[in-house]
Amino acid sequence: MGQNMLEVRHLCASFFTQKGEVKAVNDVSFEVPRGRIVGIVGESGCGKSMTVRSVMRLLKYPGKIVSGEVMLDGRDLMRLSGREMAAVRGAEVSMIFQDPMTSLNPVMKAGKQVSEAVRIHQHVSSEEAKRRTLEIFEAVGIPEPARRYDSYPHQLSGGLRQRVMIAMAMICRPKLLIADEPTTALDVTVEAQILRIMKNLCGTGTSVLIISHNLGVIAQICDYVYVMYAGRIVEQADTFTLFEHPMHPYTCGLLNAVASLRLGREKLDTIPGVVPNLLHLPEGCSFSLRCEKCSGICASKMPDLMKTGEGHMVRCHLSGKGGES
Amino acid sequence: MKYNILQRLLQAAAVLLGVALLIFVMLRIVPGNPIATMMGEHADAATIERMTAELGLDQPIPAQFCRYIADAFRGDFGTSYSLGKPVSQLMKAAFGNTLKLAVLAALFAWILGIGCGIIAAVRKNGVFDHLFMGVSLLGVSMPVFMVAMILQYVFAYHLHWLPISGTDSIKGFILPAVALGWNSAGSVSRLVRSTLLDILQEAYIDTARAKGRRQWGVLGIHALRNALLPVVTMMALQISSLLSGAVITETIFSINGIGRLAVQAISGRDIPLLQGTALFSTAVVILGNFLADCLYSVLDPRIRKEA
Ligand SMILES: Nc1ncnc2c1ncn2[C@@H]1O[C@H](COP(=O)(O)OP(=O)(O)O)[C@@H](O)[C@H]1O
Ligand SMILES: [Mg+2]
Repeated sequence: MGQNMLEVRHLCASFFTQKGEVKAVNDVSFEVPRGRIVGIVGESGCGKSMTVRSVMRLLKYPGKIVSGEVMLDGRDLMRLSGREMAAVRGAEVSMIFQDPMTSLNPVMKAGKQVSEAVRIHQHVSSEEAKRRTLEIFEAVGIPEPARRYDSYPHQLSGGLRQRVMIAMAMICRPKLLIADEPTTALDVTVEAQILRIMKNLCGTGTSVLIISHNLGVIAQICDYVYVMYAGRIVEQADTFTLFEHPMHPYTCGLLNAVASLRLGREKLDTIPGVVPNLLHLPEGCSFSLRCEKCSGICASKMPDLMKTGEGHMVRCHLSGKGGES
Repeated sequence: MKYNILQRLLQAAAVLLGVALLIFVMLRIVPGNPIATMMGEHADAATIERMTAELGLDQPIPAQFCRYIADAFRGDFGTSYSLGKPVSQLMKAAFGNTLKLAVLAALFAWILGIGCGIIAAVRKNGVFDHLFMGVSLLGVSMPVFMVAMILQYVFAYHLHWLPISGTDSIKGFILPAVALGWNSAGSVSRLVRSTLLDILQEAYIDTARAKGRRQWGVLGIHALRNALLPVVTMMALQISSLLSGAVITETIFSINGIGRLAVQAISGRDIPLLQGTALFSTAVVILGNFLADCLYSVLDPRIRKEA
């Protein structure tokens, strides 16, 4: 057994639109070690959802996986048939989505939707499935589980719905839990509770891949972080290193924006410019148009991911010189 | 929930009473003396006057209405002028045929419409999608009488598979039911397709797939029930168009049904019969809507009242 629960190698995924191929995920590689929480951070539209949906093989039309390997516990998910993949979803790898308001079926009882996940993968009676559902409701901190079992989604608050989603995702004890911005739609106190639940669950043997555009969320629970920009990984490091010694100008920009918010400075430090159109990426480094330190080579050649320290990689021609600002 | 149903029933009764009044008044304020029409050109004034008094038509309208309602509660809808038989008896005889026709047409329309809509949505832009949607466009754009005549020509006159008219066996109902249901089948299938395509984009469909449901499970367990909500509303609305379509279908296929009675009543200025058939159609539409409401609240927990 390798030490990684999930290994994604050279993943490319695109939207095939009438205007052309939108390379939303471009040669992305990352891994989630066993029992760890790994984060992917980046602005909206940088391809985070597309990346993790590729792992589930649940891309939105007209998105398609172009190439790459997705090894879950040593097995390449890309080679599985549709039927085999369906058997993996929910049982070995499960996913929770951004908006708990819309991700539960409005005409089905919350409890039924959770116990359904057990009954798809295991031959258990409906009583047993219900018993386990109540158990997991308890574990994710849903008060009055028996009453909530019979509630419909519209009768639950956002926080409770997201707990139901977590319960659904965890009930088969998957190897990997993918959470796509699980707290973006929730308020801050609920966010903290949900993150704590996820952290606890991780302690029970499930590895977690969490996506966020919020560095605060990442800082709270992740062991290791990937920073994504315009469909590529631009920096990766363990959480401490990333926050203390960011190397990529984009990462530095993100951190400065957060810091200026926290310190309540008059002027918010933002990264100038907007995310580039994925249909018309600049010739060289995708970030070059917004980068303060952009120099000759940046505009002509895409930098490779280069190792700058133990477990720390950066995609920048200036890494080593460009670092901390 | 119970309270809700009771409330709806009372509402339905009130609507029925209102419609009865409307029909009643309308039939009495249109110009021309129905008795004169009924007796023909040669009737003398004295006879007409005597008949008018006998039928109570010389009374003030409110008094006539009260008597009519009181009689109706006892199942007496008056006697048909043109056919000379009690309206209730005529309608009872016709009701069975219309019921068979309408139920068969509705089953045909809804089963075919829902089935084709699902297949078209699942295989979007596939052969079946284009085929069904093309045919259903024909369905919604062809008038009932045209469909009826084409069916008669092809399946009765040409192929001799089914009788051209008559209601001796259930076979005689097949062509009329298809003709009558054709329009609804077209619009139901289009609605099912578009609703289903929308719903398949919903986040909870991703959730269902993420927990391991395969295509038909996602469809049958999560998408369909949500997709049926607007379809139920549409089906309730279609009941009245099925009824008005039945008038034409029954006439073309010579089926002795409520629709044909209504036609007879209109052409003969037969007020009691006209009142009876109009009231019957109204009752059916109201009942249909009531059932649709009940079904809707079974399907959608969000509109159920909290207990
Ligand atoms: N249907 C679509 N057609 C074309 N491009 C799309 C479509 N949906 C999303 N995209 C593009 O794919 C990119 C990645 O989207 P996504 O993975 O959802 O980003 P994130 O989750 O990081 O916000 C975005 O830049 C977006 O513009
Ligand atoms: Mg996203």
